[in-house]
Amino acid sequence: MSRSRHQRPRQSIARPRRLVAPPLRFFLPVTVLATLLALMVLRGMANNEVFHDDKIAVSVDKATVPTSVLEGGPVVDARGDKNGKPVSYTVPDKTVVLSFDDGPSPEWTPKILKVLKRENVRADFFVTGSMVARNPELIRQIVAEGHEIGLHTFTHPDLALHTGSRLTWELGETQLALAGVAGIHSSLFRPPYSSTVDALDDWSWPVTKQAGSEGYLTAFINKDTDDWKRPGVDAIVRSAMPDLPGQGEMILMHDAGGNRSQTLAALPIIIDKLKAQGYTFKTTAQALGTGTANTKVTSYNLWVGKAFLWCTTFSVWLLPWLVALLAVVGVLVMARFALMLVLSAVHVRRVRRKGFSWGDPVTEPVTVVVPAYNEQECITNTLLSLAASDHPIEVIVVDDGSSDDTAAIVRELDLPMVRLIQQPNSGKPTALNTGVAAASYDLIVMMDGDTVFEPSTVRELVQPFGDPRVGAVAGNAKVGNRDTLIGAWQHIEYVMGFNLDRRMYDVLNCMPTIPGAVGGFRRSALDQAGGMSDDTLAEDTDVTMALHRAGWKVVYAENARAWTEAPVSMKQLWSQRYRWSYGTMQAMWKHRHSVLERGEAGHFGRVGLPFVALFMVVTPLLAPAIDIGMVYGVVFVDAYKTLAAWFAVMALQAVCAWWSFRLDKEPAWHLITLPAQQVVYRVLMYMVLLQSAITALTGGRLRWQKLRRTGEVGLEFATGGTTS
Amino acid sequence: MSTAERGAYGIQDSSETMALRVMDPAAFPSQRDTEPAEPVAAAPELARKPGRDRYLDLLRALALIRVVIYHNFSWTWLPIVFPSMGVMFALAGSLMARSLKRPALSVIRGRLRRLLPPMWLFGAVVVPLMLLQGWGPNYDHHPNWWWGELAYWILPLSEPPFGDSLHTFGGHLPASWAEQISVPLWYLRAYLWYVLLSPLLLKAMRKLPWVTLLVPLALAFFINSGLVDQSGRLMEAATDFTTFGSCWLLGMAHQEGLLRRIPQYIVPSVAPLVLAFGYWWLMRSPVDNPRIGHDLEAVPVAQAIWSFGAVMLLLHLSPSWEQWPKPLERFNGVISLLNSRAVTVYLWHSFALVLTEPLIDPLWSNSFFYDHLQWVLASQWTPLVLAVPLICLAILLFGWIEDVAAKRRPRLFPYPRRAKGRRGR
Repeated sequence: MSRSRHQRPRQSIARPRRLVAPPLRFFLPVTVLATLLALMVLRGMANNEVFHDDKIAVSVDKATVPTSVLEGGPVVDARGDKNGKPVSYTVPDKTVVLSFDDGPSPEWTPKILKVLKRENVRADFFVTGSMVARNPELIRQIVAEGHEIGLHTFTHPDLALHTGSRLTWELGETQLALAGVAGIHSSLFRPPYSSTVDALDDWSWPVTKQAGSEGYLTAFINKDTDDWKRPGVDAIVRSAMPDLPGQGEMILMHDAGGNRSQTLAALPIIIDKLKAQGYTFKTTAQALGTGTANTKVTSYNLWVGKAFLWCTTFSVWLLPWLVALLAVVGVLVMARFALMLVLSAVHVRRVRRKGFSWGDPVTEPVTVVVPAYNEQECITNTLLSLAASDHPIEVIVVDDGSSDDTAAIVRELDLPMVRLIQQPNSGKPTALNTGVAAASYDLIVMMDGDTVFEPSTVRELVQPFGDPRVGAVAGNAKVGNRDTLIGAWQHIEYVMGFNLDRRMYDVLNCMPTIPGAVGGFRRSALDQAGGMSDDTLAEDTDVTMALHRAGWKVVYAENARAWTEAPVSMKQLWSQRYRWSYGTMQAMWKHRHSVLERGEAGHFGRVGLPFVALFMVVTPLLAPAIDIGMVYGVVFVDAYKTLAAWFAVMALQAVCAWWSFRLDKEPAWHLITLPAQQVVYRVLMYMVLLQSAITALTGGRLRWQKLRRTGEVGLEFATGGTTS
Repeated sequence: MSTAERGAYGIQDSSETMALRVMDPAAFPSQRDTEPAEPVAAAPELARKPGRDRYLDLLRALALIRVVIYHNFSWTWLPIVFPSMGVMFALAGSLMARSLKRPALSVIRGRLRRLLPPMWLFGAVVVPLMLLQGWGPNYDHHPNWWWGELAYWILPLSEPPFGDSLHTFGGHLPASWAEQISVPLWYLRAYLWYVLLSPLLLKAMRKLPWVTLLVPLALAFFINSGLVDQSGRLMEAATDFTTFGSCWLLGMAHQEGLLRRIPQYIVPSVAPLVLAFGYWWLMRSPVDNPRIGHDLEAVPVAQAIWSFGAVMLLLHLSPSWEQWPKPLERFNGVISLLNSRAVTVYLWHSFALVLTEPLIDPLWSNSFFYDHLQWVLASQWTPLVLAVPLICLAILLFGWIEDVAAKRRPRLFPYPRRAKGRRGR
């Protein structure tokens, strides 16, 4: 079965495959991210951090506001037919409406409710949706004690600064929260930052008009106590008293948004004084003689509201965990940067020291094994580059059942030191083992069929074998096709990976992978490790870990450069990375027992494995926290500070990148694409990792043996660099 | 593989290995034969007369549609999604650079011949209408100026004049109808100036490509910095010229192959940064009406930067379609029509939009519509739906002049009956 999949002909450029629906592989990771983000939005709303509005609009003109409204009573009715000619209602004589804005607050609202209950007075509470979502009990208490609820928007912005759809949204969400909490809707609305009707202007008037067209009665005020300025109890009481004796009035106070002790103290005095003047206390609807502005909701609206409330509660609970996660990721990322910078400097000092050598110069001949599967476009270049090697070599090309002209081309080239071995298609690890078995010499270099060596590459690669403890050497793979966008991104990634990560791993003696494109092995070490195995999708990682467990040193040779062709499409890149990350997980799982072993193996198990797990799996897997944190920060907290933090991390990344480019003596031009690379790459990487992790967790282990070469990924390893 | 070729890939010293990493399949003629699917794509490069680039046609059609929709809805997000004017100027600049292989003077004459007659026809309808509704030498109490500025209706070196508040055809139109109808005229003025200066621009572009590309942006910063008095006809022209100058030049650079000479990764890496900068500039600019929000069309510098970035990306993508890709084939008719009547549609669309108002208004007195279809009458979509047949009418009535101007046989309604660029299969 695997064979037939293997030999499916590649799609050619001229007949592009029809675009299909987005593949399922995006579905799970995207869903996870989208859900998290949606929860964060809810959380931000509930905490009234949305869009962090504190701008207030004031217009000088009020030409569009009808005079009847400017001079009329505090309640404006612009509903239905009245939208063109709004009607104002005044509070009847000897009647007073107490209204409390911005609440409910867990600290002050209960105390105010207590006073109102004692005085047997009903009042209006203009609540914000975010406070409703956070204090459901209080809303139920307010409703139960016979007071009236009005809407004061969800997030308390100045609506004059926002679009009509924002107003609709603010009111709709607040109704949703009210339905979820107390099973009611309200038809009473008070715009934030509003005051008396004569303060309406050209910018705030459209808000009232629109609220009217959506069916809301807008309640402004007569008397502003300015209690939020904390002017003293006497001042609050004084400003609540009527201008003319017996005049009806709508009084504004606040039960949230700061210390309300003065409000609390003034309230009984105001009530007593007004009672003494013969006033009765009513809610707005009662004062206008219309019963109540709050209506019970049932069925659909009720359940949508409840669902909304549950999600909000959950998201409020979730955020601290995410913040903690963000902190962990931040620390890990920073630690990694610092470690890489320091250790790469250490490594460079060590190997570039004057008179540094691994041991005696290695001059013995070397076998180069080239596994090839459908490499007709590149194999000529590969072999010709080997022919120019300045080190004595024999080359063994293992044709792994290619369906194209690979074998014929090799034969036709007829280079003296090249031997061709053909085998039925059986996978890269087997091909490598075949090559090793046929090798005449003890030092073996493995490369890919789409890779080109420099003349000095083989010599540089085998020099570390002068040290008898070295069992394998990783070379320096370079991206050849670096002029395209994806190529440039991979170029940056390769340069950083080889000059920072590999140097760091070298110093810590826990190199996780010898790249398949350029790696050198000692035959005795390979034998000890059991050769290449097809237990995992990443045989190079697997064998490297096996070598560590066998006690061999694995080092990095920076001058052994190999030019390779990187995947040129997002699809190829995705499947390559999926194979790498899933293969790495498999290899780590396979070698998990090394944690408990003694000696060198134990060192790798206790230092190397956790290191690799931390930086190659855990950190990228948690990286979405950074992006979600960023979106959350930009939208809900402080856009400029968040972006500044993001750019700081980017700058740090740029410093690391620049340093690695310098170490490799590469021109730094490609760093211009670093911001784009960071954004796209990180997303790509955790998508891939999430997919791998999900595969690994959901039955990946069960299907261990079967999964080895199911085609899709197996096909990819041989064609990865050549389809173009 | 012959020995001669082998020699070409032999390695003498390490510097030559660099050449090896370019894996160009074209370098292997013997191997190319084994891939039969290739030649189809290679065929167009033969000496055939270059056909229309369908991608550019698509962009032009999208730009036109976007302009009509924007003028109907005034959605402020629309110019951000697709900066039409920048795209139109870039396309025009690209065509201009292609034509300038011929003598500059004849090219300019050709452009003017194509541009002016449609505008004259437009003026021949609009000016009498304005005169009928109270516009005249004494409109601004400066009869001499009035007569002088009338010349801009002949050669729009500055925006052709109109009356901004006129009689209303007996209450059927708003007093600002002439102003609304004249909205597209600035484009002709800007286009004229670009055409006139193109030979110079092209020379500068060939000498100092990157500097020339950025000069209009720098000038836009300067003109809009507040240091310069922006009022007056001359400064108006200068503001528009600098706002879209970089787009025009980008089009020229595209035609000259400048964008293909730099590594592929540069444009997609830089363009998002440019866009981000433009967006930031837009966000920090003051807002006229807080309930509408930031409008790109009202902030020239942001418009210049944003258009520059977007056009850069669009031209970078430029896939040069000789034939339509399958999913777009069905739109061939509309896109071809819009392309061969671009000037007509652009000039007359605002006229059509203004005319929808007297068409819809009487329906409010119709009791059936009032009782049952109020939402239709109040909807913003209704004028758009009505404007489409009106624009088609304009194409029928006035479109032929584009053919005459281009010295072609006049056609009434150039909607291709059979999809032209259809595939063989």
